[in-house]
Amino acid sequence: MTIDRARFEQGMTYDAYKAQMTRNRDRVEENERRAQLRPEDIAAFRGLPRPLNVVVLAEDWCGDVIANLPVLGRLARESGKLDLRVFLRDQNDDIMQRYLNEGKYKSIPVFVFFDESFRELGHWIERPASVTRLRAKRRGEIFAAHPEFGSPDAPVDQLPDEVRARLQAELQQMRDETAPFANAEVVREIRELVTRVAA
Amino acid sequence: MTAAHPKIKITYCAECGYEPQTLALAKALMLEFGSRLSGIELIPWDSGTFDVSVDGQLLHSMRREGVFPDSEVIKKGVRAHLTA
Repeated sequence: MTIDRARFEQGMTYDAYKAQMTRNRDRVEENERRAQLRPEDIAAFRGLPRPLNVVVLAEDWCGDVIANLPVLGRLARESGKLDLRVFLRDQNDDIMQRYLNEGKYKSIPVFVFFDESFRELGHWIERPASVTRLRAKRRGEIFAAHPEFGSPDAPVDQLPDEVRARLQAELQQMRDETAPFANAEVVREIRELVTRVAA
Repeated sequence: MTAAHPKIKITYCAECGYEPQTLALAKALMLEFGSRLSGIELIPWDSGTFDVSVDGQLLHSMRREGVFPDSEVIKKGVRAHLTA
């Protein structure tokens, strides 16, 4: 399977993807509004010598897509140098099989960067490892501070409904608090990838 | 001895799109056990979770097994619980 101009054009533009979403569009648009891009990051993307073609694998139910695709969407809009085409993962397994996480997991989002001749420059999967590490640490701290939540490894269905609801709220708050760091890490990793290979 | 009307809980990762597997398993259990269950509770969660328990006894854990459960294996576990 190769991605050429014809295959690329079969994907949806970012706006078309959002228009066909059946859920979580409000969260995507909120994350897009909230994403804070530093002027030097926008300048770095604007400074790319040529526009890049970006294949995106996504689904509208996925938390990492909801969090990270809007950051790429903002970069594309503000730089004018990233032409996005979104493909739904479960309808495009030929593309997905080529970008499996650790060679076996269908993790999304996947961002694949191509030059104008559709030579692949690199790809990015799911979320930065630094974000996974930070959230695991913060999750551990939440459980340590609340013995009533039990062990982080225990099934949550054993918790009383009220305790489980409080745990859910704590975890959501943690995700909200770490979102600015997560967005900055997404930008940093994508910037490093494209400026390293497209210069 | 027969356990009276056990409750099944399915905890699934809503951030991972596990709704189809959750609904398929819930349907299989409804059709198999009907009113012999006191209820089936679906709990949306995160972190790749897919756990199934009957009256607090864990029958399947995605973290432990690494895969989705075979509905026949879950049914067998529920049957064993019913007749325990």
